[in-house]
Order: sequence, then C-alpha cells, then structure tokens
Amino acid sequence: MEIRLKNLRRNYGALHAVDDVSLVIPSNTVYGIIGKSGAGKSTLVRLVSMLERPDNGEVYYDEKRVDNLSKADLIEARRKIGMIFQTFNLFSSRNAEQNIAYPMEICHMEKGYIKKRTEELLSLVGLEGRGKAPISTLSGGQKQRVAIARALAINPSILFCDEATSALDPQTTRAILALIKEIQKKMNLTVVMITHQMEVVRDACDRVAVLDSGHIVEEGLVSDIFSSPKSDVTKDFLSSLTNVQESIVRWSKDGGHYTLRFRGNSTDEPIISSVSKETGAVFNIRAAGVQNVSGEEMGVMITDIGPDEAVAAAAVSMLRDMGVTVEEEKKEAR
Amino acid sequence: MEAFLDARMWTLVAESTWQTIVMVFLSTIFSMILGLPIGVLLHVTSSEEQGGIIPRPVFYNVLSRIVNILRSFPFIILMIVLMPLSRLIIGTSIGTMATVIPLSIAAAPFVARVIESALKEVDPGVVQAAKAMGSTNWQIILKVLIPEAMPSLVSGVTLTIINLIGYSAMAGAIGGGGLGDLAIRYGYQRFSPSYMVCAVVVIIVMVELIQFIGDRISSRLIAKR
Repeated sequence: MEIRLKNLRRNYGALHAVDDVSLVIPSNTVYGIIGKSGAGKSTLVRLVSMLERPDNGEVYYDEKRVDNLSKADLIEARRKIGMIFQTFNLFSSRNAEQNIAYPMEICHMEKGYIKKRTEELLSLVGLEGRGKAPISTLSGGQKQRVAIARALAINPSILFCDEATSALDPQTTRAILALIKEIQKKMNLTVVMITHQMEVVRDACDRVAVLDSGHIVEEGLVSDIFSSPKSDVTKDFLSSLTNVQESIVRWSKDGGHYTLRFRGNSTDEPIISSVSKETGAVFNIRAAGVQNVSGEEMGVMITDIGPDEAVAAAAVSMLRDMGVTVEEEKKEAR
Repeated sequence: MEAFLDARMWTLVAESTWQTIVMVFLSTIFSMILGLPIGVLLHVTSSEEQGGIIPRPVFYNVLSRIVNILRSFPFIILMIVLMPLSRLIIGTSIGTMATVIPLSIAAAPFVARVIESALKEVDPGVVQAAKAMGSTNWQIILKVLIPEAMPSLVSGVTLTIINLIGYSAMAGAIGGGGLGDLAIRYGYQRFSPSYMVCAVVVIIVMVELIQFIGDRISSRLIAKR
C-alpha cells in the first residue's frame, strides 16, 4: 500500500513537532524515517498510523484518506495495519500465543482459524514451540519476534516499526532487521521504519527520509543518500556511523578537510593514484573504509589534499568528474 | 476466666462470627458492583497523561469530587443517614442484612479509588498498542486494562475486605450483629473481658487469613507472567 502525506502539521502548544511534512512512501518498500530525538519522528509515526490526528494536512493510504475517519471507520482501518514498538508493548497477562491471538480476537475471528494462524506466525518468526511461554521468560529479541507475529496476525499491508530495534543489542538488531526484510518480501508489505540509528537505515531500508525539527531535510534512495548526503544532519548521522564502523580504519585523530564518498564501481578503481599523478596533488589520508549499503559497496575516505589550494581545487574537480562525491569541510569549523 | 468454660459464650461467638462473615461477604460483593464501574469510569475519563483512553476532564472532576466526599464521610454517620434507604430496600433498618447497605455504600468509593489506581499502573505503551491494533474502548477495558491490572486488583480487593471487617465491627452500633456488636454488648457493657478478647482474636485471625489468601493469589498471578 502506498502512503502519501500532504502538508502534515502537528503542534504541541508552541512546539511544531511536525511542520509541513509531505512525503510519498511507495508500496512494497522498506522506508526509513531517521531523526535525532526530538526531531518529531514519534509524532510523525503517530500521525501516519492514525493514532493521532494532524492539526493540518492529509494522510492517504493508496487513494483513501485516513486522517479524518469517523470513530468506527478508524477502528476498522487500524485493524488493517501492524505496528511494533521499541518497548515491545506485549500483554503481560497473556502468554506468547495469546498475545499473537489478540488482534484476531478483537476482530471476532473463528477460534480454529486463530489457533492455526498463531502456529503459522510462531514458525514464521522462528519461535516454534514457544507459544505457551510467559512474556517475562522471553529475551528482548524473542519479545520483538512475538510483537512482529502479533502485528502480522491480521495480514496487514503496512507495518510500522517505531524504534523497533533501539532496545536490542547489535546482533539481535541485525537478526530482527533480517526478519523484517524477509517478511516484507514474503508478504509484499510496506514497512515504515522510524529510527535514530543510521545502521538500521543502512542494513534494512530501501529509501529514507531525514527528519530535523519537524521538517524533512532530505529524502531518497538509501544508496544515494549515503554516497552524496546533502544536509548537515544527514552528514552528521553518516559520520557517527563512520566512527563506529569497524570496517573504517582511522589513522589519525584529526579529521581531514575533505570527505570523499565512492560508490559502486568507483570503489574498484585506483582513483586516488590517477588523480595524484594527473594533478600532482598530495593526499594525506586520515581514515577510510568500505561498507555495504543496500547491497552496494560504498567507500568513505577522510583526507587532506595538498600541497596548495589551486592543486587541491583541480584534484577535487577531477574527483567529481570521476563520480566521487567530495565534501569540503569549512575551515572555520575546526 | 470464668466464662471461658461457658458453652453459651462459644455459641454466641460462633453466631457473631457467622454474622460478620455474611455482612463482609455481601458488602464486598455489592461494593464491588458499585465501585468497579465507578473506578473504571474514573480511570478512562482521566487525562491522557494519567492514562485515560476517553479523557473527559469536567466529568472526571465532578465524579472524583463526589467520590472524595463520600469517602470522607465517617462511617458511623453514614450508617445513620442511610437508615431510611435500608428500610426501603430491606424493609428494616436494624439487623445484619440492614447493615449491608451502608457498608456497601461506604466501601464503594474506596473500591473505586483502589480500582482506579490499579488501572493507572497499566503500562501506557501496552494500551497504545491495543489501540493501534483497532481495539474498541470496551475491548481495551475488558481485554487489556483489567487483565493487565489483575494482581493489583486482587490486592485492592483484599484491602477492601479487611476494611469492611473493620467497618462491620462498627455496625454493631445500629444493632447489626457480628463480632463488633458482641464485643460492645458483652465485653464492654456487661463487663465480660473474655467476650472482648474472643471477638478481637477472631477478627485478627480473619484479617490475617484474608491477607494471606489475597497475597497468595496476587503473587500466583505475577509468577505466571
């Protein structure tokens, strides 16, 4: 299902939590919405998932407008979407399978069907035989698996993930993301993933929107955003990722003046050597590495270019001609 | 300790104990019937920050005020005020059955607050999830709020029963019978301390027993989670 947001606005008093957001989330994709805490992403997901009404603007699922539904229609519409949360939000009064059965129970589905479907879902999320387990006996990852199964029980066409992996360790995060991606393909879901972790976007999303103080500052394919980020917020997210990435080797504590981003084929070519030979530029590489972004190789290099500004400018323009994204950091910033 | 060998005393104690049990049992049930809906209503109409799912600030404040006023009424006065009501419903304002009316009405606002605070403890995230899945308000109340709050609700009911045992002792003042009545009439007015001691001991045993059973059920419920 395609989701369309038109000029969405939501204020809390003087705070513009979501400020004029327009967005198209294409059908059958994993769509990331990334932002720092306080950027408005929780409010945005509450607006998009019909938990809250916008002050202004419209939300469409395919061609159907859903932000102004009557109470009865709202309940009906909510029964067609799935949602998972950072804190899992499972019912502690119910065991795993009773949790999964809940959304089917409230739609008054037939008991035999609920039982069959619950078994199916347990095996889909890799928890066969754990149906009778009380929630408190499950690990964080298992709890999120139960939550995913519960969200999928009614065969939704949209799955909202609100910081779904933020409470999990890195290994479990990877496993849960892999599961979500697998399920997305299997069920042709539209997955909307709210997060503050760039690695979640890198590992799971096809497209991403970057949210900052209620505005979308950048939107596009994940591979494009990683190779040529435009806004400072995005660059900030990427650099935090660079620092924690084990594949990035850092030689010097000082950052370089230039950040070069290579993508796809350009990671295989001796670009730096060619440019150096051609222009006489001297590269002092501070840090470099390669990571995999939605199946594509993506290289990052942080470097100084010398010996003087004229040569550096020539080198930069040659790099750009060769398809490398070059960001020059402002000198006064350091 | 002349009277300890007195068979008449034991018959009286047994009779009074039974009367207390009947009074407490019936008034627990009626106060729950009255208090549970009010408690649920208080919780669901409270502000969103308090976990209310249908916030109605004006309604909440009025209801909350009424509950507070009823709670601050001294039981002994409430009993006298409600005498006509007892006469209307039971046909008499004296006796064990007649005291069930003021007992139930006195305990109902307490029950309402106990229920409200138990429901308030339910994780708001869980309620939000239930809402996101398309639960109706009734479904949230019956399938989420009450089951999730069950251990606290059981503790609340235990507390209510113990309170009612205390209140029921006062009901002796309007001839309600029961252990309080026994202690006052025989123990105090007829200067027979053995009656007094006996009545108090039975009350202590009852309270201990109820507390023990309540704690047991509550911790069983928690252990299953």
